[in-house]
Amino acid sequence: AHRTQRLPRLLSFTTADGGRRTKKVTTGAFNREFTIHNCSIVFFTGSPPRFWISATLMASRLIHKATYEADNSFDVSLRESFQLLEPQLRPPFSLTIPTQTEYLNLNRAILYGILSETHLAKVHIKHLHGIVIDGYSFFTTLLTRMVNELYTKLVENVKVQLIWVTSEMIYVSAVGVDGLLVALLRQTRGGDFSEANLWLCSELVGLISAKWDCLLDEQPLILSSALYVFLRLLADHCRVSLNSKIEILKQKEIEFCIRVFREQFHLCLKIGRDLIRLLQDLVHVPEFQDIWKDLLLLPANFKTSGFSDISQLYRSRTSSRYFLLRITPEMEAHLRFLLTHVKLGSQTRYQIWFARKFFNVPDSETVIIDIVRFICCAHHPSNKIILSSVIPRWAVIGWLLKCCTKSHVEANVKLALFYDWLFFHEEVDNIMNIEPAILLMINSIPKYVDMTQNLLEFLFLLMDHYDVDKKELIVGCISSVLDVLERRGVVQSFDALISCDMVSPFLKERFLKMLASRNASAFNNSQPAFLSCQRL
Amino acid sequence: MVSLKEIAPAARNNINAHLILLEKGRITSEGQNKTCLALVADETASVHFQLWNEECDAFQPGDILRLSNGIFSYNRTNHLVLRAGKRGQLEKVGDFTMLFVESPNMSEILWVPDPNNSAKYIQESVISPHSRIFPPLQ
Repeated sequence: AHRTQRLPRLLSFTTADGGRRTKKVTTGAFNREFTIHNCSIVFFTGSPPRFWISATLMASRLIHKATYEADNSFDVSLRESFQLLEPQLRPPFSLTIPTQTEYLNLNRAILYGILSETHLAKVHIKHLHGIVIDGYSFFTTLLTRMVNELYTKLVENVKVQLIWVTSEMIYVSAVGVDGLLVALLRQTRGGDFSEANLWLCSELVGLISAKWDCLLDEQPLILSSALYVFLRLLADHCRVSLNSKIEILKQKEIEFCIRVFREQFHLCLKIGRDLIRLLQDLVHVPEFQDIWKDLLLLPANFKTSGFSDISQLYRSRTSSRYFLLRITPEMEAHLRFLLTHVKLGSQTRYQIWFARKFFNVPDSETVIIDIVRFICCAHHPSNKIILSSVIPRWAVIGWLLKCCTKSHVEANVKLALFYDWLFFHEEVDNIMNIEPAILLMINSIPKYVDMTQNLLEFLFLLMDHYDVDKKELIVGCISSVLDVLERRGVVQSFDALISCDMVSPFLKERFLKMLASRNASAFNNSQPAFLSCQRL
Repeated sequence: MVSLKEIAPAARNNINAHLILLEKGRITSEGQNKTCLALVADETASVHFQLWNEECDAFQPGDILRLSNGIFSYNRTNHLVLRAGKRGQLEKVGDFTMLFVESPNMSEILWVPDPNNSAKYIQESVISPHSRIFPPLQ
């Protein structure tokens, strides 16, 4: 029902079917025709009359929203802009230069249109190309935020559109497209064999492969990031042979990775030592066996000047931005919250919720490897927090280790914990990366001494077997780790470990030998021989 | 917005609070309806919350909730519970990233009418420092 009134004019429409109505309105001085959505209230006030449209926001077409969930403010902002500007989104497009606010709203409206109106997507993108004045920077910011905040809730169709519009953004070399691709890569989950996740892996490897030349020119580091992601995913994908769908995906991922190795080896080197850690899990994959052979025996086959030996990679610390690639933004927010605000002793419930959310599905515990690497290398608490009663990193890592049910995952988690020990150089490496392991070992005495024993055993296993050719280097580095930890006050002394009755005498003896040799190694490690490694 | 440590039993539906759901009990039937008791908390205190019907399945431990126009009163089995009530609303606004305490628990307090104002309740004594139905985990 509706009614019209003389000024102040109030037109109220309640449409039961939520459809659009076009109502021609006459008010004295002018005629205006506009589209009313459901429950719109139109006011005419003031002199001369200005009209306001206050509409009840239409339901979101982008996300699945559960009944008891509050509206997401970002989704609301896109919907509002779309609803406000919808008439302007059809040709002929206005040629007047929009103000700053109008420009931002247009971006939001066009984005909403692209994602929710598939049949009009090409019209919307043409519109965007026509009005853009900032190299698409704001548009990609919106897209990146959408992926980071809402990806898991997006309706299937919208995800398809998202990939399409990302492809368009690569094509126009949009400012910020690298951030968008990183956000999408972060949404691929390790150990998740659901249709939705495998679809995303497939779309991304397809997109990045298809846009190879473009990305190589404009955003080469994306290829390094993608390599890290797909090598890591392959470790999970090669473990199972579920069906032909995953075989096709595996082939695409393998092809992409091999291509980076053979055509752009310098981009592989950008990853640093964790490249080797990732490649280890693919040693049994036939296509990677030549890569391994060349890395170990014939480095010249990579035709990259400056690269002559695998130890150059060992000595190159992996930047923390790679470890973010395998953690979703939500996981990251939860972990940082836990390690910044939750007091030791109050963590139990948070740990239950985290495990229920992220390690629920059988194969999903593989992500613990990436979480431990993230905690060691990409989350360094301030001194203030270290000295407070907030739960320390070593305690969280101890809990994560206990969450592992599969031995190969547990082994990889311990490797992730110790990885920076193996090739530690004080000048290049960060003491914060090596601190959690020693603190976990020492603080587990006496209550959880099994943990201490377990970790110590594993450390010596690594020392003896990780890279037999480089054993001397590894022993030297681990000695230097112990030296640095004591010298810089991370541990007061190793007495608790050495004098603990419950640790096997054999292990204690080896540990003592390490301590004894560290002064000699510390001297050796500071020799100029280190400088002969080329900058990678 | 009110802190949980400030609430007292009353017949009014005026409680607006920011809460985190810690634990849910078993879902049981009460006639046509289903209900379940839960433990919720904020940075100042915890309290028992009574969920009704779809609320029982809609919320999970770890969820951060916004309660509007809730009511804190004795239910049919004489438990002192917070609930949305007929005129209130419970919404999920996030999850995980909120600090909480489990002590005191406002439902585990012996309330008596204020001698100066019979419409109000005051705390007489503590029955238990934390929930006896959902004790703190070790």
